[in-house]
Amino acid sequence: MKKLTALLLIFTLLLFSVVGCSSDNSKTEETTAAAVTTAETQPESTEAEMVTLKIYAQYSDDDTKIPYDYAVVELAKDYPNVKLELDIQAQDDGVKLQTYAATGNLPDIFQVGLSQIETFKESGNIMILDDAAKSTGFLDRAVPSASNIIYNEDGHIYAFPYAGNELVLWYYNKALFEQYNVKVPETYEELLTAINTFNENDIIPMSIFAKEKWITTAMYDVLATRFDSDGIAKLDAGKGKASDEAYAKAAETLNELVKAGMFADGATNTNYDQAASLFYEGKAAMFLNGQWEIQAATDKLGENADWMWYPVMPGYENNKFALSGGGAPGGYAVNPKSEHKELAAEVAAYISEKYCEAKYMYRGNPILAVKVNESIKPETPFPAMMEKLDNELSNITSTTKFAWGLGNPLFKVAIEDQSQFLMTEDYTPAEFIEELDKVIERMNQ
Amino acid sequence: MKKFFGNKLAILVFTLPTLIIFSLMVFYPITQVFYKSLFKWNGLGSGSFIAFDNFLRLFDDKLFFLSNKNGFIFAAIITVFQLLMATVLAIAVSTLKMKGRNFFRIAYFIPVVLSVTVVCQLWLSIYNSDYGLLNRFFETIGLDYRQNWLADRKHAIYAIAIVNAWQWMGYQFALILAGIKSIPTSFYEAAQIDGATPVQAHMKITMPLLKETYKFCLLISVTGGIKAFTEMFIMTSGGPGTSSYTLTYMMYSSAFRSNEFGYGLAAAAILVLECLMAILVINFVFKSEPTVGGE
Repeated sequence: MKKLTALLLIFTLLLFSVVGCSSDNSKTEETTAAAVTTAETQPESTEAEMVTLKIYAQYSDDDTKIPYDYAVVELAKDYPNVKLELDIQAQDDGVKLQTYAATGNLPDIFQVGLSQIETFKESGNIMILDDAAKSTGFLDRAVPSASNIIYNEDGHIYAFPYAGNELVLWYYNKALFEQYNVKVPETYEELLTAINTFNENDIIPMSIFAKEKWITTAMYDVLATRFDSDGIAKLDAGKGKASDEAYAKAAETLNELVKAGMFADGATNTNYDQAASLFYEGKAAMFLNGQWEIQAATDKLGENADWMWYPVMPGYENNKFALSGGGAPGGYAVNPKSEHKELAAEVAAYISEKYCEAKYMYRGNPILAVKVNESIKPETPFPAMMEKLDNELSNITSTTKFAWGLGNPLFKVAIEDQSQFLMTEDYTPAEFIEELDKVIERMNQ
Repeated sequence: MKKFFGNKLAILVFTLPTLIIFSLMVFYPITQVFYKSLFKWNGLGSGSFIAFDNFLRLFDDKLFFLSNKNGFIFAAIITVFQLLMATVLAIAVSTLKMKGRNFFRIAYFIPVVLSVTVVCQLWLSIYNSDYGLLNRFFETIGLDYRQNWLADRKHAIYAIAIVNAWQWMGYQFALILAGIKSIPTSFYEAAQIDGATPVQAHMKITMPLLKETYKFCLLISVTGGIKAFTEMFIMTSGGPGTSSYTLTYMMYSSAFRSNEFGYGLAAAAILVLECLMAILVINFVFKSEPTVGGE
């Protein structure tokens, strides 16, 4: 009896293994059902005409799901013979995409950042989209201020951007500032006063999800722009050193702020959800994130949410309107070895435009890469913070780069690691400068 | 038996598939690691040959030494914790007088069958500086010992090592318990008649007879510690900064974040050599003296 039971169990296990390992297309379709559009409902098309394009894209939160789903629905109307098969982008530093490229399995269309564009260019894994940008009319509809995110440094287009130039915003909770009678800091001295007052009242001055290294890079960059409007973009280009006065001062300032108690204990182990909930629950007075947080901040805090210009350093008043963030070439790219590369390029341009429409309509974002048709109206009025940003755009004197927009991967890794290190009390600015300068020296060799 | 070993064809038929698979899946990739570590390579294309430049750079890189140090700290902590705890618990559970032996046997093994991700999330909550169990525990017993367990550059690696030690202790426990079970009870009865205390009996009988089991346990924990990656990847992403990097994490970061595959593979080559060295040393330490019986 025991033997029979054991045999049955083994048989069942084998059966499950076989079923689990088999590549059942219907199952694949099922898992991507939410994101797949087919033209099966279109009576004039047939299976023989269908083209399936594999797409590798972010699909993890409202800011990525809503635009993708919208683009897919629109695509089904204008390209009934095209079916998209979504492969959800992993948050893995590009490991999966790199592996796809190394093994010759790149999807037809894929989302890509600047550092990977550079790598893929060298190995012929990314298609030049200059002609497609013209033939599809993408360039005609592009916003002039978005040229920095459309064209690569070599003058070619490698990806269709699906967002505009985005910025790092310093959010604050108006109600908390009023409650504790704290002036919204415009200078460094006022910032220190605010930190002290909030700490005395058991309020965390600023919550930050410093477990993610891009935001610590942004924090350092924010401070670097106080002394040099080019921020970390200058270091990325190899035109400056961490030991230069501006960058050394930025490191010292961040160290001072950490010691002054600006961030919560254990900030380097705080993720986005934890940091955001501290801010939205009124336990933290300020919060650092990209402008995409505007919608969520408005939803959670209503009129109490606002953003401020970064505090100014004495003697560097000219840099008041220099902001961290900004764009870099990136977006939807096309595999040059794709069987349907021309169609894929057309679809990539189309999807990017539809993303912009969706961001305009549903995400309260008017700062985009392409102009949105005038007939399209936002679902709800833009949040006050976005209106403010839109109005203030002309005052911004310069922008820098987000961590993912940095062109040199060596520098990107170094600044991410080192800026997170600076968020710990016992890491000295001298150590930061030494480590970063070593990497910059290597970059310039 | 002699007849069987005399049949060369049978030996070939039975071993060849394994040898082919081993060569393709293990030996070939390892040789590629060493070969490609001599190149400046971004993971795509063919790269350019730079001989030992990657290794020279590695030995001039502070991060390499920090990563090694962390690997050894990690290995030391998990080895000591797992072997000691597993031995004590296995002896306790194998004692006939102990009540609820089956329960404890299963309970100690449960962490092993949990996913590493689940275990890391569990310990992330335990280590949380605000509401974590550990800080709350110290508060409850009146100790002012509140810590940022994972945000401290000097101590994060210890906190992470404890997670691995806790999870895989059950595995060592199972191996040692199986070893103890295989020792005939007559040995202990004889020792008892000779007046040996239980501690003496275990020191003189259990430990020497479990030599091979301990060798195996030591091999897994030492090599597992040197090449640790998953826990730091999930819990700290190598941070704060680079303070919980291990050699494997350094390899990952160089290859996949910096796109310096050649440099990452140089770190991997050193890692392979370190693991081989550890195996050789452990084998040497546990080398059996030839006995009269022939073994």
